[in-house]
Amino acid sequence: MTDYENDVSRRLFLKGAGATAGAGALSMLPIQMAFAAAFPEQNIQVFVPTRAGGGADRNLRAFTGVWKKYVKQNFEAGFYPGAAGRVGYETYMGKAKADCYNLIFGNMGPEVLNWVVKKPTFPLDSYFYFAQVDADPACVFVSSKSKFKHIDDIIAEGKKRTLTVGTSRLAHPASLGALVLAQKTGARFNLIPLSGGRNTRGGVTTGEVDFGVLPASSVLRKKIKVLALFDDKNPLPKRMPDAVLTNDHFKLGLPPLIAGARAFGIKKEAVEKYPERFKVLTDTLQKVYTDPAYKKAVVKTKAPWEFIKYGNAEDCAKYVKYVTDLGQDYRSLLTGKKKT
Amino acid sequence: MEIDWGLFGELFARTFSFWWVILPAILLGLIVGAIPGFSAANTIIILLPMTLAMEPEIGLIFMVALYASSRMGAGIPAILVNIPGTAGAAATPLDGYPMTKQGRAQQALAISFVASVFGGLLTTLIALVAMPWLSQVAYHLHSVEMIVIMLFGISLIATIAAKDTLKGLIAGFFGLMIGYIGADVVYETPRGTFGFLELYDKVPLIPALVGLFAVSEAFAVIEGESILTKRGMAAMQKAGWKETWEGVTMAMSRWWHIIWTSIIGLVIGIVPGAGAAIASFVAYQQSKTFSKTPELYGTGHLDGLVAPESANNGVTSGTLIPLLVIGVPGGATAAIMAVVLQYHGVTVGPDLFENQPELAFGAFTAMAVTYAIMILTVLPLARYMSKITVVSTTYMAPIIISFTLVGAFVPRAYVFDMYLALAFGVIGYVARKTGYHVAAILIGVILGPLLENYFLRALRISEGDVLVIFSSGIGNILWILLIISLFVPMYLDKRRQRQREQALPTTTDC
Amino acid sequence: MADDEQSTDNPKPSGPKPLGGELILPISGLLFTIYYFTTIIDVPWTAQVSAFFVGTILIGLIAALIIRTSLRVKRGEATLGLGPLFAPKAYIPKRLALLGLTLAYIFFIQWGGFTITTFFFLLFAMLLLSDGKKKGLIFGISLALSIGGYLLFILAFNTRFPRGPVETLLKDVF
Repeated sequence: MTDYENDVSRRLFLKGAGATAGAGALSMLPIQMAFAAAFPEQNIQVFVPTRAGGGADRNLRAFTGVWKKYVKQNFEAGFYPGAAGRVGYETYMGKAKADCYNLIFGNMGPEVLNWVVKKPTFPLDSYFYFAQVDADPACVFVSSKSKFKHIDDIIAEGKKRTLTVGTSRLAHPASLGALVLAQKTGARFNLIPLSGGRNTRGGVTTGEVDFGVLPASSVLRKKIKVLALFDDKNPLPKRMPDAVLTNDHFKLGLPPLIAGARAFGIKKEAVEKYPERFKVLTDTLQKVYTDPAYKKAVVKTKAPWEFIKYGNAEDCAKYVKYVTDLGQDYRSLLTGKKKT
Repeated sequence: MEIDWGLFGELFARTFSFWWVILPAILLGLIVGAIPGFSAANTIIILLPMTLAMEPEIGLIFMVALYASSRMGAGIPAILVNIPGTAGAAATPLDGYPMTKQGRAQQALAISFVASVFGGLLTTLIALVAMPWLSQVAYHLHSVEMIVIMLFGISLIATIAAKDTLKGLIAGFFGLMIGYIGADVVYETPRGTFGFLELYDKVPLIPALVGLFAVSEAFAVIEGESILTKRGMAAMQKAGWKETWEGVTMAMSRWWHIIWTSIIGLVIGIVPGAGAAIASFVAYQQSKTFSKTPELYGTGHLDGLVAPESANNGVTSGTLIPLLVIGVPGGATAAIMAVVLQYHGVTVGPDLFENQPELAFGAFTAMAVTYAIMILTVLPLARYMSKITVVSTTYMAPIIISFTLVGAFVPRAYVFDMYLALAFGVIGYVARKTGYHVAAILIGVILGPLLENYFLRALRISEGDVLVIFSSGIGNILWILLIISLFVPMYLDKRRQRQREQALPTTTDC
Repeated sequence: MADDEQSTDNPKPSGPKPLGGELILPISGLLFTIYYFTTIIDVPWTAQVSAFFVGTILIGLIAALIIRTSLRVKRGEATLGLGPLFAPKAYIPKRLALLGLTLAYIFFIQWGGFTITTFFFLLFAMLLLSDGKKKGLIFGISLALSIGGYLLFILAFNTRFPRGPVETLLKDVF
């Protein structure tokens, strides 16, 4: 584990030493270091609760690569994978200073569902998300060889027998999508957690399960057909031509069920102590979304630009509440415990 | 998919012209494979900026060469210092290290190189020609069938511990219990984690591997001058080129063994999510089952070294098949290759064979060419690599401890994992000193959670019906084979014992 | 196998075999299994089924070993001495010191970083094992390996090795 507090002070010390030593080091420092008045004076640390090299890493790199232009400091990512994000959050809440120099970059949906299943050691309201980066809707998908050609085929079959549904894990918005669909249509689904998107795609394409649910961006592959989206509109009609919108089709009357919603979070205490710093962060980050360089960076990661969506603290809170409430409704199915 | 032999010929010629990419990739792969904690997957990630900048064809050749050579690299420290570079080489020291201690490190390396290369080459060629049919394997081996395959691997615990079955089983079942630390796959309930969040996702394998094998070994060897026995030391000092050649001929004499154990690797490699560790354990277990001299396994037996090495290289070509044919990678390295190819706008899957056959088949020709070049580069090195075994333990032990502990840190960057490796080191040390088998513990740690995953998945799919494990035709055939492979050796053993007793009325303790 | 080789390296003591050491691992296994069971009492059956199955067998096997050992002790064939665990006795202080150094290495590496901590660990550990002989050679090896490790893993491959002041300082230089 990299110790960020130490890292920061060490860096400052070394930069100081470099400056007194003279030319070499000093010439490499950004100019604003000399003034050191406005926030931020140092690099901003971002705690990422997943492994390095994954989707969150690419997503974060694309975003901070542009954001750093506006805050005029670099972002340093620290990866704390494990326990579906728990390790990252516990580390952030336990170790990071409440000074607006430390942020967390998570995937709101699955991570707040963790708290529904089992509460963390810190109070839930001690942090909040303040900037949503993308909105990747949950979808129903099948192998292109599947006999199911339309979502109605699945529902009809599901009324005759229990269908097996591959999902990356139970406590995931995509799984909730399947549960909602089953409840509203009377079909019977048996969720099979297959540990991650890759294995879930594998389970569906090799025919171990009848169909699968995942965030849409992770099933944009050949050999896979998306039959339904839990969203108000199809963000990529060309790549998901068979997808019906569950809300319209089944009259679910639900807000979009976003399965992948990456967002920056921060300690509440940091915002209370340094509201002006927080304002700098929120003001600058909004410029990123409209910067053409950001679109370019996202396209370069091969992630569809259509899934990029800004949401402020209020939007994030609304989403978190929606997913949490939905999770509470199905808590017994997610935890295997009878009592809710 | 029609086979176009002309295309194959052209592809081979073309791939050979990229020797300047393959050669550095081989050297790099050997190094990263040999160090625990590094893997081909991680290295490809680290070198991503470079790989992405290459033409897709060159990038693919580079990755494939790195992948194949890292698999072979992992066997080198397994043989020389009893430290498998990756979990896939965990069965290699069973017979490789005893050979080293007898001063036959050079022969052991040569055997491992030949077995790896021919196992890899053969399975690559089989894959190349039989890909359309082989890819179907993934459609037939689901959770139920995988449960039985896991049991093949786990049954090795019993075979490994022939000398004192009770203690062997205790070590293996202790390993299984350790392997069950962490959240279950269905409801993610944390179990036996001692409150450490770092153990929530099961015991990380590299720290377990490093601790059980390397750290415990380092603490054990300091009482001797070197890891070699006295006779071994004498043998090593006399060694020249002859020993390498001897290893080559020994391995070649077991050509049939190389063929069938590498095919075990190929088939297991095709199953997404299975992997080299399972394949090498299963191959070792099968090799011993059908051996005429099972009692020699574990003492530096040729077949015991050939089996895991040819099997884990068979896996290498196996994992590419589902990636290229159905777009589902068979393992982590294959998954990263898919990402790199996608970055270049190449979508893996069946269309690749229609649209860009030179890339699809090119992956396999690259692998075949890598193996061909590898044998020429690596064999002459066996003589020099084996010299490491005469280095005094005064220097070896601290080096092993520091570098392997750092290796335990690398995959997740948690200092916790270094402490964990040390804890496993203590367990391994106690096990070694009191006659328990560290490999039996490790098999439990590696295969236990996999078995549980498949089992729970099968149970969940069947909605709790335990009889699901006998519900599949292929599965049932595998069950029968498992029972045969467990009981036939017992029967043969008994018969041999009877024959021996008849021949020698007074038995000697060996 | 390694273990067997080791035991054949040690001269076999005559008289009753000390089997106490053999019980350490099973007893740890037993304690761990009991602890593990306490963590899965009130959880869904999916989390219990494999562990209860394997754990029960393990407890059975351990019980069998304990019975076997006590019968041997009763017959006078064995004692509960720790036997080979700490043998040869002369190495006990060295092993404990090496264990202490290893713990210190892990503890300090998170602050000190790979290069300098590894240098000191190699230096002290090798000096410990060589009884203070060949100081120059050991200094050279430690220096070469820690710098070599830095160059290869941190500078060339940018691997996630533990970083500390040396790495940060050199990062600014290169």
